Amino acid sequence: MLVRELNLEGRDPESIVNDAPLFGEGLALDSLDALQLAMSVEEQYAVRIPEGAEGRVAFASVDALADWITTHRPAT
Amino acid sequence: MRVALTGFGIVCAVGRSVAEAWPRIVAGERGIGPVTLFDVSGQRSSIAAEVKGLALPPPHSREVSGGAPWSRTDAMALSAVREAMEQAGLDPKKHRVGLVVGGTTGGMYETEQLLARMHADPSQRVPNPEMLAHPLSATADRLSGAVGPFARARTVCSACSSGANAFAIGAAWLRLGVVDAVVVGGTDGLCRLTYTGFNALGAIDPEPARPFHAKRRGLTIGEGAGFAVLELPDAARRRGTTWDVELVGVGITSEAHHITNPSEDGALAARAIERALQSGGIDPGAVDYVNAHGTATPLNDAMESRAIERALGNGVARAYVSSTKAVMGHTLGAAGAIEAIVSALTIRDGRIPPTAGLGEVDPKCAQLRHVPAEGASADVRIALSNAFGFGGVDTVLALARRDVARDDGVTLRPVFVSGAGSASAAGALAGVDNTALLGDGARPAEDVLASLDPARARRLDRSARLGVVAAELAGASGDDGVIMGTSYGDADGSASFLAKLFEKGPRLAPPAEFPNLVPSSPTGHVSIYLGLHGPALAVADLSTSGEAAFATAYELIAAGIVGQSVTGSIEGPSEIAANCLAPAFRELEGINRGSDRSEGAAAVRLTHENAAVRVLDVVQANEPDEAIRAVSAPQGRAMVIVAEATDAVRSVLASSRWADAPIHDVVTAVGRHEGLGGFALAAATALLLKGEADRVLVVGPSHGRSYAIVLGRA
Repeated sequence: MLVRELNLEGRDPESIVNDAPLFGEGLALDSLDALQLAMSVEEQYAVRIPEGAEGRVAFASVDALADWITTHRPAT
Repeated sequence: MRVALTGFGIVCAVGRSVAEAWPRIVAGERGIGPVTLFDVSGQRSSIAAEVKGLALPPPHSREVSGGAPWSRTDAMALSAVREAMEQAGLDPKKHRVGLVVGGTTGGMYETEQLLARMHADPSQRVPNPEMLAHPLSATADRLSGAVGPFARARTVCSACSSGANAFAIGAAWLRLGVVDAVVVGGTDGLCRLTYTGFNALGAIDPEPARPFHAKRRGLTIGEGAGFAVLELPDAARRRGTTWDVELVGVGITSEAHHITNPSEDGALAARAIERALQSGGIDPGAVDYVNAHGTATPLNDAMESRAIERALGNGVARAYVSSTKAVMGHTLGAAGAIEAIVSALTIRDGRIPPTAGLGEVDPKCAQLRHVPAEGASADVRIALSNAFGFGGVDTVLALARRDVARDDGVTLRPVFVSGAGSASAAGALAGVDNTALLGDGARPAEDVLASLDPARARRLDRSARLGVVAAELAGASGDDGVIMGTSYGDADGSASFLAKLFEKGPRLAPPAEFPNLVPSSPTGHVSIYLGLHGPALAVADLSTSGEAAFATAYELIAAGIVGQSVTGSIEGPSEIAANCLAPAFRELEGINRGSDRSEGAAAVRLTHENAAVRVLDVVQANEPDEAIRAVSAPQGRAMVIVAEATDAVRSVLASSRWADAPIHDVVTAVGRHEGLGGFALAAATALLLKGEADRVLVVGPSHGRSYAIVLGRA
């Protein structure tokens, strides 16, 4: 999803280290990516990523995002 | 420079005339309330600064804009233009009057639902007269029909600095002597696309905007129009018109940083202020007032405060600064124009408007001299108006009270062409290789976008990618501008965004797509990708967009406002352009074209420094025969290049001085689209660089917007 939604062309999804930072360093995503990613997560998993400090926790890494989604996913 | 401002017109949330709006702006009375134009449920905010009580004029006859109903954008422009022309006592039937319009959305509000339907259902993509109101250039056409005729018109977009750049182009026209007076400004109506887009970016404060406030959370979207009449002082005097304020300086830079975020250090914004001061011969310590861009986003106001401090030095303690967006919201493409007029009024009346609701000032903005809540009275001799846009185009206008205005002594200068580049079905071509654009259409196997770095190009849509390749091949570098034609902007992208908004609701409107929907987005991306710090402007002129962009770059360079720029056209693939817009405009433009549509970008690099090819004539006229009549006679080996050598073009040329010159076209090699003028100019440059011709005439024939351009070996 990261590769598709953020047009990380030429990036092999396997090459993204799951516990490396998404923003600043690591994948070096920026604030516009954060907004797009939050929208995509909401669309696909019905989970809202809050703005501000809480959101930064969710977006710390791929692992952190996966944890956030698992924890906040509505029961089906 | 010395350019007299002899008339003003404003439409905004706090008034539909200067007389109504100005006292409320000075009083800091906010015009912000709940959105009534459309449903905003589910958005992060529900307020805007709407213009109330706007009456739409009755539609024109079929000859003007196909008889389509007026858009709110165009109706606001009409009101402001009328007011400005009345104050100036300007009669376009007696004088050569030009018109320059800045904007970002044109008739978007009126066409949003139709666009969404066209996205969902290909059978809806047919020529629909409703869409005649859609393109940015529709405003100039309607204004010409209602208050013209105008000797020439131009439409420019650089996102939220569009209206300010209209002033720069108008000033260049006056310097070049191609008009006696020019009406310049910007207009932008509120629409769902912009409202949802800025919401999706989290850039809107749910409360009324609080520029420079410690707790500011973003902007309030507004709408409006602002137009002014510009004249050279001598001409204004001869007409017996009075004026108090002059435009004396212009500074335009691009940050080449990010498509939505300003660079935090404010270096390029500071450079724009410095250039405006230099060109106006103004000491930084002499500035009395700065009308800030002041959007109230956390990033802008901190960056802008730094930029003002950097550019004014010790003068920062002296100059009053306020943002009138707290009153009328961010009027986007109109903002640079309305706020320039507000700045002029502070000089005229000695009254300085406050930043409404300021209260607790952000420490990052505390170095500025903010205006008290009740406003300030001061002897304002020098005022600056800042306008910064998406894609990072920073435009600063310097205004002076008539008695302190000084001329910078800049004289007109020759303009040269140093390179050409193109990316299309004919391949990726540099310099002399662009003669292949005149070829038989044999298709090269190469991928024209192969040279792009995928990681750096990830945000670029196909238009922007084509533009980067063409600009790079034309030799773009350093402080170059990027001034490119675009006929309709990204109608397909807007349709897709709107379809998502209507189907899934505002929370699922994709924020990353929104910045690519403003018509100047490809030029902004080119400037960011290639690190170019000159003005990144889009010029919208239907089938002569490439020629219009070239003329704009030429005029800004010849007038000493811009140093150098790549210029040409960018047209991405578009189903809506191919099946709906192009056929709808074909009749109005008098261009009989097939319905197939290709894509491509082409650029030449214009500079004031000596180069192998020189620009000899650039003529804009309503009809092609008028334009061709006004250019110089052919010399040596002369050739003519047109987009498509139709019988109509051939017959016009046959009765001109250029009758004996062989005619070539670029349509066979490139395919059909509205940007072929850019390709004709690239091919002309290549022929001259190669020494295969001495003079080349490029003709852009379009009813109401024709161009004739002669290039020659220097």
